[in-house]
Amino acid sequence: MRLIIRDDPLTVGDYVANYIAKRINDFAPTADKPFVLGLPTGSSPIPTYKALIQKVKEGSLSFKHVVTFNMDEYVGLPRDHSESYHTFMFREFFSHTDISPSHVNLLDGNAEDLVAECNTYEARIKEYGGIELFLGGIGEDGHIAFNEPGSSLASRTRIKTLAYDTILANARFFNNNVAAVPRMALTVGVATVLEAREVVVVVTGQRKSLALSKAIEDGVNHLWTLSALQLHPWALIVVDEDATAELHVKTVKYFKSIERVQDEVELRQAELKARGRTEHQGQVGSME
Amino acid sequence: MAATESNGLVCFTNCLLPQEDGSLVEKDLWIDQWQGVILDAQKTFFIRRERPSTIIDLGGNILSPGFIDIQINGGFGFDFSVYEGDDQTYRDGLKLVAERIVETGVTALVPTIITQEKSLYPKLLDLLRPWSLPNAAHLLGWHAEGPFLEMSKRGAHSPPLIISALEGFKTFESIYGSENLAEAEEWFASVESDHDNVGVRIITAAPEVEGVMEAIKETSKRGICFSIGHSMATTDVATAAVQNGARCITHLFNAMPQLHHRDPSIIGLLGASPYMYSTFLPFPSAIVSALKATIPSLSSTKEPLPLSIGHISEAFDDIETPPQTPILLAEQAHKKHRLPKGKSIASTAAITPVPLESRQSTQGEPKSSASTMPFDRPFYELIVDGIHIHPNSVRLAYSAHPDGCILITDAMKILDPHLKDGIHDWRDGRRFYKEGDKLYVEGTTTLAGSVITLDKCVRNFVRYTGCSIGEAIKCATYNPARCLGIENKKGTLRAGADADLVVLDHQGSVISTWVKGKIVWKRI
Repeated sequence: MRLIIRDDPLTVGDYVANYIAKRINDFAPTADKPFVLGLPTGSSPIPTYKALIQKVKEGSLSFKHVVTFNMDEYVGLPRDHSESYHTFMFREFFSHTDISPSHVNLLDGNAEDLVAECNTYEARIKEYGGIELFLGGIGEDGHIAFNEPGSSLASRTRIKTLAYDTILANARFFNNNVAAVPRMALTVGVATVLEAREVVVVVTGQRKSLALSKAIEDGVNHLWTLSALQLHPWALIVVDEDATAELHVKTVKYFKSIERVQDEVELRQAELKARGRTEHQGQVGSME
Repeated sequence: MAATESNGLVCFTNCLLPQEDGSLVEKDLWIDQWQGVILDAQKTFFIRRERPSTIIDLGGNILSPGFIDIQINGGFGFDFSVYEGDDQTYRDGLKLVAERIVETGVTALVPTIITQEKSLYPKLLDLLRPWSLPNAAHLLGWHAEGPFLEMSKRGAHSPPLIISALEGFKTFESIYGSENLAEAEEWFASVESDHDNVGVRIITAAPEVEGVMEAIKETSKRGICFSIGHSMATTDVATAAVQNGARCITHLFNAMPQLHHRDPSIIGLLGASPYMYSTFLPFPSAIVSALKATIPSLSSTKEPLPLSIGHISEAFDDIETPPQTPILLAEQAHKKHRLPKGKSIASTAAITPVPLESRQSTQGEPKSSASTMPFDRPFYELIVDGIHIHPNSVRLAYSAHPDGCILITDAMKILDPHLKDGIHDWRDGRRFYKEGDKLYVEGTTTLAGSVITLDKCVRNFVRYTGCSIGEAIKCATYNPARCLGIENKKGTLRAGADADLVVLDHQGSVISTWVKGKIVWKRI
């Protein structure tokens, strides 16, 4: 696992957007070989989305051959409700990019058969050959997607009851009316996320700092589902300074040093590749 | 711009969209050029699974619904009120105006005809059925200003043609032609196949003219907008007209009594309370009955009051109000022109506030007494050319009732942003004198309508009232649409509305105009 620390949410967004853009462009997706990207909602990824949109507008990035799968959606909330994740994704991201509507996948929280909807979703991910990069955020209780504390770390896409903490936190989006917040959601499982070839998680703000510490400084624990990332071979967490508040100084220093090493390794490999001296394909790094 | 094949969808981006609350929001707008409508972008993306093949960057400018002018007498040399015996010539004239007017940001207009020879009405109104031409503004229907007007407030209308409606709505039918006053559905059905599903009719009349008050209810019932204008109506008559269904006031401040604080008349409707309607008589009841006994019949509204009852109190020392606004003339008007039952102003009932609950419960109940009826203030038209109304008065009216404000041009046939100052022909051998935005009947100081364009009215309005450009736009788009009940199709950026649009810079100057999703005019 790598932990990247930046000053504030804006620079975190720039870092993640640059990272994703580089991954997509290196992948050189085509109609037959699209780049499959997992996407989150919430406030943490907004600066990333803004930075990605900027790149599309500048012409340095295209989503034409990118297929996306979103993490979750409320159950029973109309698709065009202002707080639905369909609305969020369209407003904050899809409408400003060049992504094709037929390449966009979101769970349908209004499906007649919710279980079938979840199973189809998993199957569709497999059809595309799995997710190349899953971008995520976390809740204050360390949940990734709607995998609330206590979720199985082997879980797949399913119906999930929201934790009371999450309902309270989301009430601000529903006129502070707790009763109006949906009680259930469809969400990809922890295992669905872990199966992605790469996972990038954005964590910003002091309120997320305890969750971050639990996820990376303690053991794997289903009460902090993000901690399952410790089992992933290629995970990247990008945080701002505020989010490091609960980390040990030692941890912060260690990860800062890793970032330097990683940069050097990548540079070296790129040179070798340019001179045709290495056969290595895909990612290289110090943290496998 | 599109690399792939066009799907007829256009995304306007990098623009400010005026909202129905008068604000401006930075947002994209998606339209379907083939259908000529505004799209629900999110639904188009997720359900129709399409995204626009064309993207138009508006460089930060304002993308507004097209302006709607609900009172315009003509333009570019054509006068809607002149029929020269040939339908084709008249239609050509309509076409000319509809094609040229788009450069002023207007995408829909209601041609207005002033008081006519009685025999001409059925013909003219028939010619003025809704009509949408390619590359031109929509002609939405007609606005008949007259002939049921108050003689003393006739303005430029010809005196011999002004009449009363002795038989109420029947007279309306016999003058305008009963087929032109048919129920909305029936009237639509008779429109030619190229119609736009949007059609409107407006009648401006004076409610105090005999028979008019009785005709308002039926007029409204048939989906025709009744607008109070060229009138001497007192507060009570004006209020009763609104309760009967009048929805609008024609060119507020002009051709009506000026605001008197104890009889604010038509203008006073802008300040009407939502909770109550009660007679206001600032005299002790004994004096009221004495007055009623002593002056049973004032023969003419134009004579000054022969009455002086001395100074009752210092605050009442102007009891002899100007001739156009006496409280006592209200009595006269009411006796003379038979108000509907239950609206007698003889009542001296004190002003009684009506609680909200009962206001809601009486909604739509015709039998509830006047004092408990909910009262919605009417819309009102303003000619914001800086001549017909002093800027201060514009701001006063707007501050009182912003949601009712409708900007109009009331423009005459010589309207043409490129026309020079000087003398121009009108009709019947009479001529106009144009000086800047001022237009007079030649040789007089009588204002004869205006020559201002609607986009200039919007810009003036911002300067006069200090409102935002978004709020001013609302007065030329959403408010008139709401007055006419067409706010689902016109004057709005709602999904499903017609893609009639105008691109404005931040000062309100027109950059380009779009009708049904196609560009029809562009500033060079």
